[in-house]
Amino acid sequence: MLKLSNISMEFGALKTLNDLSIELKEKEIVSVIGPNGAGKTTLFNVITGLYKPTSGSVRLGSKEMLGLSPAEINRAGIARTFQNVRLFLNMSVLENVMSATFGRTRSGIFSSALGLKRSRKEEAEVKEKAQELLKFFGTRLTGYRWDQPAYSLSYANRRRLEIARALATDPKVLLLDEPAAGMNPKETQEITEIVGSLRAERGLTILIIEHDMHVVEGVSDRVVALDYGVKIAEGDFDHVATHPDVVEAYLGKGSTATK
Amino acid sequence: MSNLGIGTDEWVAQHEERSASQSPLKKLFARIPLWAKWGSFFVIAFLFGMFSDNQYLLRVGVNLALFIMLSYGLNIVVGYAGILDLGYVAFYGFGAYGYALLSSEQLGQHWPTYITVPFITILTALLGYLISLPSRRLFGDYLAIVTLFFGQVFVQLVLASDNITFPWADDYVDITAGSNGIPGLDTFNLFGFIFDDIKDYYWLLMVIVLILTIAIHRVSATRIGRAWRTVREDALVSEVMGVSVNRVKTIAFVAGATIAGFAGTIFAGMQTSVFINGFDLPLMIMIYAAVILGGSGSLAGALIGAIIMTILPELLRVPNYGAILFFVALLLTFFVLSKKFSRFLIYVVSIILIGFAFQLAMTAIGVTQANAEDWVVGFTGDLLKNWLFVPENRILWGNFAFILLLTFIAFFSIAKPIWKQVLLPFIGFTAIFLWEVRLIADVSTTRQLIIGAMLVVLMILRPQGLFGQTRVEIL
Amino acid sequence: MDYLGQQLVNGLTLGGVYALIALGYTLVYGVLQILNFAHGDVYMIGAFLGFFAMTWLGGPLAPTVPVALMLLVMFLVAMMGTGLLGIVIERFAYRPLRNSTRIAPLISALGVSILLQNGALLIFSPSIRSYDTSSYIPSTSGFSIGQVTIDSVRLGVLVLSAVLMVLLTRWVNGTQVGRAMRAIAYDKDAAVMMGIDVDKVIRWTFFVGAALAGAAGVMNGLLLRGVSGTMGLIPGLKGFTAAVIGGIGSVPGAMLGGLLLGVIESLAQGYLSTNFADTITFILLITFMLFKPNGILGRPMMVKV
Repeated sequence: MLKLSNISMEFGALKTLNDLSIELKEKEIVSVIGPNGAGKTTLFNVITGLYKPTSGSVRLGSKEMLGLSPAEINRAGIARTFQNVRLFLNMSVLENVMSATFGRTRSGIFSSALGLKRSRKEEAEVKEKAQELLKFFGTRLTGYRWDQPAYSLSYANRRRLEIARALATDPKVLLLDEPAAGMNPKETQEITEIVGSLRAERGLTILIIEHDMHVVEGVSDRVVALDYGVKIAEGDFDHVATHPDVVEAYLGKGSTATK
Repeated sequence: MSNLGIGTDEWVAQHEERSASQSPLKKLFARIPLWAKWGSFFVIAFLFGMFSDNQYLLRVGVNLALFIMLSYGLNIVVGYAGILDLGYVAFYGFGAYGYALLSSEQLGQHWPTYITVPFITILTALLGYLISLPSRRLFGDYLAIVTLFFGQVFVQLVLASDNITFPWADDYVDITAGSNGIPGLDTFNLFGFIFDDIKDYYWLLMVIVLILTIAIHRVSATRIGRAWRTVREDALVSEVMGVSVNRVKTIAFVAGATIAGFAGTIFAGMQTSVFINGFDLPLMIMIYAAVILGGSGSLAGALIGAIIMTILPELLRVPNYGAILFFVALLLTFFVLSKKFSRFLIYVVSIILIGFAFQLAMTAIGVTQANAEDWVVGFTGDLLKNWLFVPENRILWGNFAFILLLTFIAFFSIAKPIWKQVLLPFIGFTAIFLWEVRLIADVSTTRQLIIGAMLVVLMILRPQGLFGQTRVEIL
Repeated sequence: MDYLGQQLVNGLTLGGVYALIALGYTLVYGVLQILNFAHGDVYMIGAFLGFFAMTWLGGPLAPTVPVALMLLVMFLVAMMGTGLLGIVIERFAYRPLRNSTRIAPLISALGVSILLQNGALLIFSPSIRSYDTSSYIPSTSGFSIGQVTIDSVRLGVLVLSAVLMVLLTRWVNGTQVGRAMRAIAYDKDAAVMMGIDVDKVIRWTFFVGAALAGAAGVMNGLLLRGVSGTMGLIPGLKGFTAAVIGGIGSVPGAMLGGLLLGVIESLAQGYLSTNFADTITFILLITFMLFKPNGILGRPMMVKV
C-alpha cells in the first residue's frame, strides 16, 4: 500500500534520514520506534509532503507522492496526527472535524453564498459525517461538546479529536505520531483498542510512532526501529525489542534487555 | 519572567468561573436571536431612508454603507483568513479610479453604468488575484510588508501617471491627472434611471449591504469559511488536512478585493470626483480600526466597528454632541473602573473638589482668566463655566495639560492600586480641562487622538474587539 | 561622471539617515518580532526636540553659544528625549501585549503613531518650523573633489551617521547588554532561562533605537532646513523599507539597506524621471521581496513541525 524507498533527508550537513526503505501492505499496522532525534517525525513530514527529501520515493499504491503538495497527498489518501497535537484551537470541536472534509467536498464560494440546494445538502452531510466520527470515541466528544472550542478540551480528548479530524479526510493510510503520549494507563489501553478497531472497522493501513512499548506490543503487526535516520531492526515486536542494536540505541552499549 | 502560555488545566478550571461571571446584561443580549439583532439595524436603515430627506444625514448614511462594505471586505481578508493586507485600500481606489476613467472627460470615455460597474469590479477582482499570487510565497510579517508596498505602488502610480512620455510619442500623456484628481464624473445611470439624488445611492447601498451581509454570513458558516478559519489558525496543518491553502487564501483576497472595487465604483459615481489622497494610509488605518474594534473575524463586529468609526467623527463635529459623547465616555470609564457605586461617587466628588481647588490656586497665583465667550462652546461649557478655570493663554495651558495628562496616564498604568485610585480623579480633571480648553475647538485632531488612544487601549484591554472571541494562539 | 559622483554623495548622506532609522526598526524586530510603526514619528519628535534646543539657545539667526556646541546640545537633547520616549512607548503600548496575539502590538503601534502625530500637530501646530542653519554654517563651505561638492552640513551628517553606526556595532557586539539583546533576538525563552533580565534589555533596545531615530531627525531637519508634524511618515516608511531590504532583524543589514536605499533613490531621482522614481523603487522592492523575503543579510525563519 505504502512504499518508502531509499528516503534520504538532509538538512545542510545533518542527515536526518539515511537511505530508509519501509513498506506497508494493505491493512497492516506498523510501529516505528527509536530514541528521540532518530528521525521518526521527519519521516512523517516527508511522507505527508511537508519536507522534500534529498532522494528516494514515496508511493501510495502505484502513485508517486513525491512532489505533490500536502493537500494533494492528503486527498490521495494519507492522513496524520501530530506529535504535539495541533488542533484548530479557536474553532469548535465539530468544526475541527468538519474542516477536514474540505478535500472531499465541492461547494465553492458562490454556491455557498447563494444558498443553493446542492450546497446546503453537502453542508448537512458534512455535519452528519463529523458527528458520526466523533461518536467513535464514545460520548466524550458528543452532544454539547460539539460546539465547544477545542482549547477547552482536556489533553486526552484533544488527542482523540485529532484522530477524528484525520479520519474525516477519508484516508487509506493513517500516520499516528505518538498517539499515546502523556496518557495514563487506562487511556493508553483505550488508544490501543482504537487503533485496532480503526483497522478492523475501517480497513485502514496504519503507521504509528510510539515510545510506549505496551502500545507497540499490543498493536503492531510489525515493528521498525530507527536510530540516526537508519533502520536498525525490523520484524515482529519480540524480535525487535530484544535486538542488540535496538537495546544499545535506547539504553547504551553493554546493556541487556528483559521484557 | 516570560509567561509561557495558557495551560489547559488552568483554563478549563477557570472556564466555569468565567461563564458564571458573565454579566446578566450580556446573557440577556446573547439570548436575542441573530436575525433580530441584524434586523433591527436594517429596519432602522430602511425606515430612515423612507422618511428622511435630510441631505446631511443621508450622506452620512451613504458613507456609512460604503464603510461597512470596506469593513466587510477587510474582515474577510484579515478576520477570516488571517492575511494581514496593508494595501487593501488600493482596491477601493482602483475601483474608484477605474470608474472615473470610464466615465469622465479624462479619457473621453463615457461608458454606460451597467457595463462600467461590473467591468471594473471584475477587473479589481483580477487585480486581487494577481496580488494574491505573491502571498503564496510569503506569510505573516513579510506579506504585510509586501501588501503595504503594493498599496504605495498604486498611489505612486496614479500620482505619476499624469505625465507619461511613451518612447514613441513626442508629447506626454496624462492618464490619471495625478494629484489633481478627476472631477466631473458621470453619476450612475441604470437603464434610464439617473441617480441624481443622494437618496438613490442610499437605497442602492443599503440593499447591497443587506445582500452582502447574508452572503458573507452564509459563506463563513460553511466550507469556504471554515477553510479560511483553519488557514488563520494553522495554515500548515490545514494543508495537511486537505485544504488547498493557496487557493483558499486567493479566494479570500479576491473576495475582499471585489467588494472594495465595487464599493469604489459606487463611491466615485456618488462623489462625481476622485482624489488619490483619499485612498491612502489614513483611510486604510480607519478601516483597520473599524474591523479591529468590532472584533476581527466577526461580521457583526465589522458592522458595529464601521458604525462607530463613521458616526464618531460626525458626532464630534457638533460641539454639543461631541461634549455629550466626551462626558458620557468619561463617566462610563470611571463607572467601569469604580466597580462600586460608592467609589464612583467619591471620584466624581473628588474631581469637583479638584476643580475648585484649581480655580483658587490659579486666581491666587494671578493667572488671567479667559473670557467666557471665548471658550464656552455648547451647553457643557455653560454648565462648567463657573467651576472650570480656563486660563487666557489656552494654547499654552492646553499643551501643558496634554503632556500632564499623558504623564498621569503613564504613571497610572504602572502605579500600585492605591496610587491608581488617587490618580484617577486627577486624570479625570485634567481630561475635562484639556477638553474644554483645547480639544473641543480642534475637532479633526481630537478625532484622530481619540482613534489613536482607542487603538492602544483596546489592544491592552480587549484585543479581540467588541464582538471577537478570546483567541488562543500558538506562536 | 561628476554628476554621478554628486548623486552618490547625496545618496550616501541620505542613506546614512535612512540607516539610522532602519536600525531602530531592526533592533526592535529582533527582540520582539514586531514592526514598530510608531518609529517614524519618534524620528519626527527628535527633529522637533532638536529644533527646540536650537531655539532655546538663541535660534539659527542669533546663536548664544558657539555653533559646534549648539549642534552638540541639539543632538544630545534630541537623542535623550527620543530615547526616553522609546522607553515610554515600550512600556505602555508593547509590554502589556507581550503575550497577546501577533496582531495586537501592530495595532497598538498604529495607535501610538496616530497619537504622536496628532499630539505633535496639536502642540506644535501644522506649520513648518525653520531649521535654517545657513546663516552660521555657510552653504558654500565644505570641500570639493573635482566637481563634486560636499557642503558642511552634508559632510557633518555623513560623518556623524558613520560614527553612530560604528558606536552601535560596538554596543551590539561588545557590551553585555548588546550581547544579551542578540541572545533574546535568537531565542527569548532560552535567554530568560539563562538569567537575562529581558525587560531591562528590551528597554535598552528601545532606548538605543529611538535615540538613533532622534539623531536622524535632527540630521534630516538640518538637511532639509525644516521640521513639521507629518515629516515622520515618508522617512519612516523608507527607513522601514531599508530595514526590510537589508534583512529585518539584522543590524548590518539595516545599515546596508539604508545606504543602498539612499543611493538608489538618489540615482533614480537623478537619472530617471522623478515622477516614476518612487513607483519604480517600490516595484523593485516587491520583486526583491518575492525572491529574497529575508532581505540581503536576514536569517530565514526555520519552523519546527
